[in-house]
Amino acid sequence: MPLFWLFIIVLVIALLGYFAGRMRVMQGAGGDRRNMHSLPSYYGGNVAIKGAAPALLLMLLWMLIQPFYVNYTVSNQIPDSAIADSSSRNLVLSEVRRTANGLDLAVQTGALTSDDANDAQANIADITAALKEAGAVLTSDITQPVLSAAQSYRSMNATGYTLMSVAVIIVAVLGVRWGLREARPEFRARNVVEQAVRWLLIAAASIAVLTTLGIVLSLVFNTIEFFRLYPAVDFFFGTNWAPSFSGRGGSSDLGVIPLLWGTFYISIVALAVAIPIGLFAAVYLSEYASHGVRSVAKPLLEILAGIPTIVYGLFALLTVGPLLVSVFGRDGLGIMQAGTAVVTAGLVMGIMLIPFVSSLSDDIINAVPQALRDGSYGLGATKSETIKQVVLPAALPGIVGAILLAASRAIGETMIVVLGAGAAARLSLNPFDAMTTVTAKIVSQLTGDADFASPEALVAFALGMTLFVITLALNIFALFIVRKYREQYD
Amino acid sequence: MKDTFIAEKDVDQKTVKIAARDVQVWYGDNHAIKDVNVDIEDKTVTAFIGPSGCGKSTFLRCINRMNDTIDICRVTGDIRIDGEDIYDRKVDPVQLRAKVGMVFQKPNPFPKSIYDNVAYGPRIHGLSRNKAELDEIVERALKRAAIWNEVKDRLTAPGTGLSGGQQQRLCIARAVATEPEVLLMDEPCSALDPIATAQVEELIDELRQNYSVVIVTHSMQQAARVSQKTAFFHLGHLVEFGETDKIFTAPEDERTESYITGRIG
Repeated sequence: MPLFWLFIIVLVIALLGYFAGRMRVMQGAGGDRRNMHSLPSYYGGNVAIKGAAPALLLMLLWMLIQPFYVNYTVSNQIPDSAIADSSSRNLVLSEVRRTANGLDLAVQTGALTSDDANDAQANIADITAALKEAGAVLTSDITQPVLSAAQSYRSMNATGYTLMSVAVIIVAVLGVRWGLREARPEFRARNVVEQAVRWLLIAAASIAVLTTLGIVLSLVFNTIEFFRLYPAVDFFFGTNWAPSFSGRGGSSDLGVIPLLWGTFYISIVALAVAIPIGLFAAVYLSEYASHGVRSVAKPLLEILAGIPTIVYGLFALLTVGPLLVSVFGRDGLGIMQAGTAVVTAGLVMGIMLIPFVSSLSDDIINAVPQALRDGSYGLGATKSETIKQVVLPAALPGIVGAILLAASRAIGETMIVVLGAGAAARLSLNPFDAMTTVTAKIVSQLTGDADFASPEALVAFALGMTLFVITLALNIFALFIVRKYREQYD
Repeated sequence: MKDTFIAEKDVDQKTVKIAARDVQVWYGDNHAIKDVNVDIEDKTVTAFIGPSGCGKSTFLRCINRMNDTIDICRVTGDIRIDGEDIYDRKVDPVQLRAKVGMVFQKPNPFPKSIYDNVAYGPRIHGLSRNKAELDEIVERALKRAAIWNEVKDRLTAPGTGLSGGQQQRLCIARAVATEPEVLLMDEPCSALDPIATAQVEELIDELRQNYSVVIVTHSMQQAARVSQKTAFFHLGHLVEFGETDKIFTAPEDERTESYITGRIG
């Protein structure tokens, strides 16, 4: 909470600085805006930025550095004798941190007074009892060195935060003073503010890029780790997926081919449903529908895109699956064993993808210039000839883009597969068989209680990496297609 | 190409191709065309002139029922081509437009190859029985539009890659390829430079031998150069219609005189 208040205090100082800066420059210019370089609000903004930015930056840095410093000092305080043979300094240190947190908790709940918590001569048994009463998590009884280390950990942190608060507020005030001194009519405040905004934008962009980089790197490193434990050839070319959770590796078959096959099979069924329906719906909406129909139907179609996929999964499990079984199952044609199958998941996923295809294609078809349509009508073409031979070819690159976007969604979809297609990894051509996909298996590999360092868990990263490479390739392919077949219409 | 190009002005007595009687057009509540009566002759270039918003393009679009594609547009009155009422219920606007070709203000080649652009109309109307015949139609149309020599080696190149003037001549070739009887041109040179304009104007005069050409233009010089008959529109009315020479030298109506001398418009 104090951190939150500190943040608010800095903001309030900056806000006050804003108004002070405005007022000051207005006075300096004799109340006439034309005597100053920038609008008054820019001078205020300059003061606010100088007040807030350095102070918040200092706060961030302090919070990053302080834990390192405190850990380092406390760790040096622990005598070597306090570290048991089977333990390590780090384990003792985390025990110290737990104790310190426990003391905080105990003080908060009133089991201990803050004097008692800081008392170096305190009775260890009393403290332990108090901590247990407060519900703190302790793995073993507290020893004297751990307790004193925890106490100094607490006091150092407390002083650290006090010092930080003071320093941050001082920096904020100094920043505001610096800004106020600059609030003279000839100062180019607008340029400074715009520069600051530019840095803000750069920071936002770099966060996005760095996060992507971080995700890819974590995938790559864990994948490499996996391939150290499990041969890559068996992973990429193995046709059997049978992870065992009993032993520590060795007995598992982790071939990716059945999973990839399931992914592609289900995606293809989904796209076979979504592309024609979505495309025809888009053509109707953009070319034939009257304005009234369009203004109602388009938002309705887009609602489909807003339904959470888990709801689609339920729909697959409870409605579509049983419906298909009643037609193709034992009572009907007898070719379907159970409700969970490729067609179930594919159909429902296809419904989910319709709005992606239709909404994007609709926008793209609408963007085809009316002049092209007029040209075609002027030659005596009918509406349908115009759409088939002029509008759709002109819109094709965009439509391909929409379809590939839908394909990426289909490949990455998880919940519908889990509920609709079953969990059996199988290589089969029969669309009425249960199958599973890469994404569904990633979930099941990571949600067990397997050791995180075992190949059975690490395979999830290899699967994720495979999926990532496939969707990336798909996107690059889409770009290539769009560039190659782009028909420029102006 | 001749530097100064003046079309023949002697007009023989010709048959009436398009006859309009009491044509009214509304865009919603806006009365855009009021009581227009005009007889457009066969094998003649007729120019529609007038200030912006006077209704000349609107009237042009009535002749091949392009206004049908605009929801709020309503046309009443009587327009006959060869004595047949084109707004009759029995008339299919699609077939009408095959007979009455149109060239637009901005060149609008389809995003297809040059060949496919010209072959578009013949293909949808089934004018050819085989590839060789289609090739012949395309070549004839491109020659008639005076662009054959420039594009004959790159018929498979996209039509959108041509220059503005070439694109417009390609659009004219495209319109000619369907063998229309009337060719409507809505400011066909407004997006072109003077050289391309001169080429298109020369072309229009040649087209006169086969078609009845109606051209909307903002340029009075152009109307004077290419047309035999001129119609002056003002505020939705057809003010004056007659021989081009007469309109430009001795207009009867005061408004026409003001417009061609540059006092209004």
